[in-house]
Amino acid sequence: MVQTRALSKRYGNDILAVDQLNLNVNKGEVYGFLGPNGAGKTTTLRMLVGLIRPTAGSATVAGHAPGEPAGMARIGAIIETPAFYPYLTGWDNLKVIADYCGVPESRLGDALEQVELTPRARTKFGTYSMGMKQRLGVAAALIKEPDLLILDEPTNGLDPQGMIDMRNLIVELGKGSRTVLVSSHLLGEVEQMCTRIGVIQKGRLVAEGTIDDLRGATTLSVRADPVPHAQEVLTRMLGADSVSQADGVFNLKVDPARAAEVNRELVTAGVAVSELVAGQKSLEEIFIELTGTEGGL
Amino acid sequence: MNILGVLQGEFLKLRKRPAVWVCIAILLLLLLAFGYLLSWIIFTYTQPASAGPNALPRGVTYKELKQSLYPFHFIRNTLNGGTQLGGVLALIIGVLSQGSEYGWGTIKTAFTQRPRRVEWLAGKLISVALTTLLMTLLLLGVAALTSFVLASIDGADRSWPDAATILKGLLGAWLIYTFWALFGVALATLFRQSAMAIGLGLAYALVIEALIFGLLGQFVGDPVRRVQQWFPLANAQYLVQSFGSATRDLGPPPKPYADATHAVTMLLIYCAAFVLVSAVSLQRRDVTS
Repeated sequence: MVQTRALSKRYGNDILAVDQLNLNVNKGEVYGFLGPNGAGKTTTLRMLVGLIRPTAGSATVAGHAPGEPAGMARIGAIIETPAFYPYLTGWDNLKVIADYCGVPESRLGDALEQVELTPRARTKFGTYSMGMKQRLGVAAALIKEPDLLILDEPTNGLDPQGMIDMRNLIVELGKGSRTVLVSSHLLGEVEQMCTRIGVIQKGRLVAEGTIDDLRGATTLSVRADPVPHAQEVLTRMLGADSVSQADGVFNLKVDPARAAEVNRELVTAGVAVSELVAGQKSLEEIFIELTGTEGGL
Repeated sequence: MNILGVLQGEFLKLRKRPAVWVCIAILLLLLLAFGYLLSWIIFTYTQPASAGPNALPRGVTYKELKQSLYPFHFIRNTLNGGTQLGGVLALIIGVLSQGSEYGWGTIKTAFTQRPRRVEWLAGKLISVALTTLLMTLLLLGVAALTSFVLASIDGADRSWPDAATILKGLLGAWLIYTFWALFGVALATLFRQSAMAIGLGLAYALVIEALIFGLLGQFVGDPVRRVQQWFPLANAQYLVQSFGSATRDLGPPPKPYADATHAVTMLLIYCAAFVLVSAVSLQRRDVTS
């Protein structure tokens, strides 16, 4: 649904905001575009909807070049904060968008209903709370009944309940064949919503895949005594590279399905095993490993 | 192509924007107050000075001057009284219609919908031109009604100018207002904001052209007027002057340096230039706000 090839954006001679980005968002997935603040997420999304032109590289969005009317007809987007006319009501703002897109006015009611904004539809946008503004933005993105939704940090500025509501809404919108590309610097949010993620750092895509893919090999943690004897048994069994130890706890790079086998080897060798737990890297650990930052937490 | 859809959306935005109606209301109130009522009160209830700088030319009376307030002269009176101030207000409407898109960030909302940028601009410019047409119609309508009421009160002649004069007046005023509004749109597009565009637009409308040519004219004379005939403010003035002076009874109006055809041609060229500048600027630049 979205493909970029060596997409780059340079501002002046000094700032390389996006550097040779190769992004692949498949049809029907909720794709999390993750990166710390200033990593190039918004610049990338702006290029995908044709607001800014790439310095180099290319992109295909919904089967068309960015900004092409035929492609834009299939895309709903909110880039940064939703922007509307403060003196118009929510309904009139959507009416303007509907007029632009050639969408019948009859769709406005459904879109407002979907984001639970019907009771405030006839109130001026300028009086809306941040959460209501975000929801109107989503409603505006939905009136085209898009195949692809591009949402740039949609929970920014929302209170905790608003964030939960927005996350639930995005998960709901991502059901079925619709593709959702959502950027965020909030790891927990991405983990809850997305089926696949791409991590961007300093304008470069440093990882892309499912969250399980990115977590990589799962581990086993074993508390065993005596430690030297346990170290000897485990090294012999798994190899030195797969065994590390700290404070009497061994971290083993091994499929958790082999837990019983590990336990049996240790016990047979006279090692007492007091704890054996399957473990995975958290997304936070992955993020820090990939970006060298603790952004967003 | 969806220019009609964009036009509907843009006109909805302008129609429901209080600032647009405030500008139009100010124009109508000033025309009523200074173009008609104040003059009528002075001509009806006061006596002209018999000597001094405010004295009328020999043989001219207030009764004759009142003729300019009656229906037969309403086109001429409105154009003379309403085009400069109306131009400034049209400039503000043009600036606001485009500059606010940058201020509110709604330009990115517009550009992430279906229409191409030039389609969107075309819809916006047509809606601005429709707004200036509405402004012109209201202005002439209020002027016609007021002049009719005043003539009725005075028991004076209530005949109207011929249809051709009315149509020419309508088109002339519309062209002048549209020129200013498009100037406003172009400035707002170039500066990507309202404040700078309004400031510079007002400076040009009220000071720059008049000041430069006024000063140079004192020293150089005719060569300056030859240059000035290519500038927009001068051409708006030529167009107004082609309808005659509002107070023609004071004597023959000053002959315009260039005729109405020249003025209309120049104003249309300026309109086209502003459209081109807006389109190129909008098409080429990234939207980063």
